[in-house]
Parts: sequence; C-alpha cells; structure tokens
Amino acid sequence: MAFLPYVGMALKNLFSKPATESFPAGEREYTDRYRGHIENDIEKCILCGNCQRNCPSGAIKVSKADFTWEIHPFSCVQCSKCVEVCPVKCLSMVNSFTGIPSRSPARRRQRS
Amino acid sequence: MLYLLGFIFVILGPLCGGLLSGIDRVFSARMQRRQGPPLLQPFADYVKFMKKKSYIINGLQTFLVAGHLIFIILSGWILYAGQDILLSIFSLTLSEMFLCMAAFSASAPYSNMSAQRELMQMACTEPMLLMIAIGFYLSSGSFMVTDIISQKTPAILHVPGFFLGFLVILIVELRKSPFDVSTSHHAHQEMVKGVTTDITGSLMGIIELSEWYEYFLMFSYVALYFVSSNPASIILGIVMGCVVMFLMTLVDNTFPRVRWERMLSVCWATTLVFAGGNLLLLTLLKMF
Amino acid sequence: MAVNNNAKKISVVPFGPQHPVLPEPIHLDLVLKDEKVVYALPSIGFVHRGLEKLVEKRDYEQFVLIAERTCGICSFGHGMGYVEAIEKIMNLDIPPRAKFLRTMWAELARMHNHLMWLGLQADAFGFESLFMECWRLREKVLDMLELTTGGRVIFSVNKVGGLRKDVTPEMLEQILHTIDDLEKECRVVTDTFLGDPDVLSRMKGVGVLTPGRAEELGCCGPFLRASGVKRDCRMLGYEAYGELKFEPIVSYDGDCYARCVVRIEELYQSMDLVRQCIAKMPGGDIDVKVKGNPNGEYMVRIEQPRGEALYYVKANGTRFLTRYRNRTPTYANIPGLIETIKGAELADVAMMILTIDPCISCTER
Repeated sequence: MAFLPYVGMALKNLFSKPATESFPAGEREYTDRYRGHIENDIEKCILCGNCQRNCPSGAIKVSKADFTWEIHPFSCVQCSKCVEVCPVKCLSMVNSFTGIPSRSPARRRQRS
Repeated sequence: MLYLLGFIFVILGPLCGGLLSGIDRVFSARMQRRQGPPLLQPFADYVKFMKKKSYIINGLQTFLVAGHLIFIILSGWILYAGQDILLSIFSLTLSEMFLCMAAFSASAPYSNMSAQRELMQMACTEPMLLMIAIGFYLSSGSFMVTDIISQKTPAILHVPGFFLGFLVILIVELRKSPFDVSTSHHAHQEMVKGVTTDITGSLMGIIELSEWYEYFLMFSYVALYFVSSNPASIILGIVMGCVVMFLMTLVDNTFPRVRWERMLSVCWATTLVFAGGNLLLLTLLKMF
Repeated sequence: MAVNNNAKKISVVPFGPQHPVLPEPIHLDLVLKDEKVVYALPSIGFVHRGLEKLVEKRDYEQFVLIAERTCGICSFGHGMGYVEAIEKIMNLDIPPRAKFLRTMWAELARMHNHLMWLGLQADAFGFESLFMECWRLREKVLDMLELTTGGRVIFSVNKVGGLRKDVTPEMLEQILHTIDDLEKECRVVTDTFLGDPDVLSRMKGVGVLTPGRAEELGCCGPFLRASGVKRDCRMLGYEAYGELKFEPIVSYDGDCYARCVVRIEELYQSMDLVRQCIAKMPGGDIDVKVKGNPNGEYMVRIEQPRGEALYYVKANGTRFLTRYRNRTPTYANIPGLIETIKGAELADVAMMILTIDPCISCTER
C-alpha cells in the first residue's frame, strides 16, 4: 500500500515537537554573520558622507551642519557596503531583527 | 414533546461543530509539524466574517445561502427529534442543491465550474446516503430514529458494510483530500476557493456556520450506528464519532487530490461492494 | 439551436495573476471547451521594475547589489553572471579559491531552489504534508547559507574582482555534515513522491513535448533536458565547473513526470558537487584589486537552477555602464509552456505551470 509511509509520517509528526518557532513569542537565534541592521558608533563618526554616497538604496542621510546621521531601516537592503567604505570603521552590521516600521521610522544619532 | 428535542441540535450544533473544526485544524497542523492556530480560532473567524461588508453579487445569492443554512438545520432537527431518517437525508441533499445554486447564480467562471463539480460530487454520494437509510431500516425495521435507537443491539452489528461505505463518502461530504474536488477548507489549488469563491463577508460567515452544523450532523450519523437501548451506548457513540473524525483528518493529510473520474469510480465501487454486499448478505440470511 | 451550440461551449477563464497555486503573478487567459484547454494567451508585466534602466544610475561596482535583487531565488546566479561579465571585460583573473567558493554557493542555491519547487509541486496536487516536509528540509539549506553568507536567499557575497566574505574550515565541516543528514531525509521524501500511484496517474503522459519542438521553441534548463536534449551550460566550464566531474541529467519521456525526475536527480547531483568542491577547495586569497573602469562588451552564459541565463554587459570607460541585458530562463520557457497546455484538462493547468518552475520576477525584472 503506497500510502502507508505517509500515514506513519503523519502519526509520528503528531507526537513530535513542531518544527516552527513561534516568533516573536519565542527566541530566534541568529548566526554570527547574519545581516540584520546597521549601527553607528556616533562618537567615532566623522560625518564624511561616504556611506551616503555609496548606499545603493539611499537609506542613509548625513548632515554635517546638524551633526546627525540617520538611516531608514526599511530602505536598507542589508548589503554592508557602507560598512566597507567607512574610513574610520564606525559602522557595523548587527545580527538582530531589522526593526518594526511603526516604531523605528529612522534611526538618528546625534553627535555631541 | 419530542419535537422540542430537535432544538438540541440547533443549539449544540455551532458549539460542537466549531470545536470539531478547531480540533481538526490543530491536528492537521501538528501532523505537518506546524504549531497550528488556537483551538477556538473558528469562532474568532466567524466573528470576523460577520463584521465584514459583503459584496452582494445579486439579491438571489442571499436567499440561496440562507436556504442552505435552513435546510441543514432542518436536517439535524429531524434527526434529533426522532423522526424519519429519510427525510433528514433528503433535507441534507436539498441544502447542497441550494449551495450549488448559490454558486451558479454568481456567473463567474470558477464558481460555475466548481458548482458543476459539486453536482458531480452529489452524484457520487447520493446513492450511498440513501443506502444508509435502507441499512437502518434493515437493522431496525423502521425509518424512524426513535425506533433505531431503541433496538437491543446497535445497528453496526447488522450493517457494518453500510458503515464502511458511509466512511468513504464521508470524506467527500466533509471536503477532505483525496476527494475535495469542488471546494476545501484552505484556498483550493485549482478552483481557487471552489463553490464559495464568489461569496464574501457575512454570507461567508453563514456558510461557515452551516459547515459547523454539517460537521455535527455527520458526527451524529456516525454515532447513530452505535446507539442502542442501553444508555451507556451513547458514550460509545460519542467516542466512535471522535475516532472517525480523527481518521478523516489523518486521511486528509495522507492523500493527494484525485481527478473527479477517479472519485466517481471509487465511490461507486465502494457503494456496490460494501453496501450492496451487505444488503445481499442480509437478504440471504433473512431467507434462511 | 445547433448554430449556437459551439459558441456556447467555449468559455474563457482567467488564470492568475492572483491564484493560490501560483508562486508569482502571471496571467493566462485559458480558452476552454468543456474543461479542455484549446489555447492559452499569456500576459506578463505585473512585477516589472525597470532594473535594467537602473544601470545608468548606479556605478558598476554598486550594481552587483541591484542585479542580485532581481529575483529572490535565482539571486546568486544573477550576481555571479553580472560580475563574471565585468571581470572578463576588465581581464581580471580571480583567484581559484574564489571560483570554488562561488561554485559551492551556486550549487547550494540550486539545492534550495529544487527543494522549494518540489514542495510547490506537491502543493499543486493537494499534498500539503509533503509540501511542509520539503520546505522544512529546505530550511536546513537556508541555515547553511545564513551561516556562511549572512543572508538566507540574498547572499551579497559577490563583488567585482572576487568575493567579500571568506569561509572558515569549521563552516565547511558543518556544511558537509548537514548535507549528509539532508540526503537521507530527502531520499525518503523523493522516493515516496515519485512512487505514489496518484502522482504517477496524474503526471505520466501528460504535457508531452517532443525534443524537436522543444528546441524549436527555445526552451532551456530542466524543461529541455526532460525532453531528451543534452544541454547544460555548466559543461562550458565557467568558474570551477571545469574541474568537477559530472554529467548532465537527461530523461527521454518529455512529460511532466520526466521533468520532476530530472529536477530531483539534479538535487542529488548538486549535493555531490558541493562535496567535490569542498574536497578540492584551495587556499589563498579571495579577491584581486580592481583599478579603473571597464571598457568593452561581453556576454556570459550560466546555468541557473531554472535554465540557461544570458548576461550581456556593455561599458564605455566611465563608471556607469551603457547597457545591461539579462535574458532569463523562464522568459524562454513560456512558449514551451503554452504549447504543452494545449489539449490539457483544466485541473492539470496549475500543475503544468509549476513543472516549468516559473520565476516571473526574473522574467520581468
């Protein structure tokens, strides 16, 4: 009977733990290299604008006059180009969740 | 006095049917190694449907969907009031016809094709449904449900073949693979959502409600095979009803969908072999 | 009465763009006569984003990231094809380690694509449990990709001149280990899928395409190989394929079942190719320095999971390219699809669309 393996599979699955994780109720483990979102160590930033020029989707806005660096997390495509071209290496790719649009419209960092 | 017992179905139907539907979804999900929705999800879905605005295609559709609901309720009411089982089955058929007509009235391509397939489905299930009534007649001597449940031995001992045939067409009635050719519970793969493609909003909520009634009605038909004059047999009936529903969920997750020609041949073959064979055996036994 | 009968029997059913079985939006107007398809009229253009025009606005180094995002599943192939074209124009010689790593990632992408396709094919039959099982196995491949590149479907590891990230030996060990476990579980799933009598009855002899007709219509990839034509671009020897041992997988029946068999065998072939890559992996650098701007034109052919893809790049010495043209496999397979749908039952149309493995985002860019 060709369907017997399926019946066995279905019954075995019924008594095993689900293979899905109930995110965000449960924890999600990211690997080290996971490209989540960009963080800027603002004290080291020299506001050169290199990251703004090289971003393919135009997600970063740097304003030398106001001393601010801003990123729109949902315009970012997580390519890490800005991390590579930064001359002082203040940008880093953090391996956690990108962000919820209603709560994080733009990440602003102000330099003192 | 007996007629008032029919209202047990009207009240218990949505509650038990919705619970059965919820349990079916959770078990289906666990069999696929998913977590599945909460148990009371069908009730939440119903509330959401009733809040939505329905895009009425034509005024006739409301009348037909209401007819579908009313005749399912009537079918179960007749059963629980202890009346004629043949009338109960005819009422069930009539409510299916109303659903087909509601789909035809939408004049949209997928609704029309699914309604044609639904008619084909009815051609598969109607013979067996009538045989069920005949089986109960043979085991208890009358069509009245009050006589059927007051026999000394439950009907399953006299007509097991009819029961097996009923299980096969139950897969078709409850719209589960392998025989869900006209519509099914998740967005169907070929016919989009089947007969209910063009039914939206609160009308869809009414269809959900009638599906729960249908679940509970089928549960009751299964339990009827096991009930006899012994009051403890009611518990047996309920347990067997639950076992059969679990079996339906298991079958749903094991088989792919078949073409309608194959469904027709399988259903007719089981009707002839199981029900016909049982009928022949009983007739021969009565002769000797 | 008799005059109107023929006209009454013909109906036109719109299939798509929103349909539960289609992974991506394509519209087919099916002309039916009594549930048999007489003709199908396709319309595409629902996800056109104008990516080829964007090449004039982003310089040639940044454009890799855009080319990669043409499609979610064939993403690595697009990046690789574009970067190869630029490297050939600029006469860059990338180190062997980069070539082997690119091959490994391309084969891993092929594996996850075929597993995804198998799940969708099972779903078109109403076989939900097999669909969930295939996608659960696909998660293991995606975990490996996340471990090495940081992304599950969009890797962002290609750059002009080589690669942006290297892999450690521990990661390679883990990949080998995962593939061994995966192969055992996949065998169970594919054997039951291919041996199931319902699946056989629905797929054998359905949608036959003869080899001559398939070549005439310009089909490519597993669609073509299932009709008996032995054509696989990996035999051209680009990247590290010249140093790996394998043969193209061909089937001679030309029906839907043959296409399933070809893709399933390719899945196992990819696992073997990844093992070969890891065994032969050389050490060394992963990139070379890039100076100046490209000037010239070049065309590259690579074997995407869905078929043969062409990449034509034209540069004129400035930072921005003049033209980038990408001919994707599904674009070439659509005429073949229309041919096989003729004469089929409506119930089989969904399944046949899935046997060509449609990727409409690639088709329309």
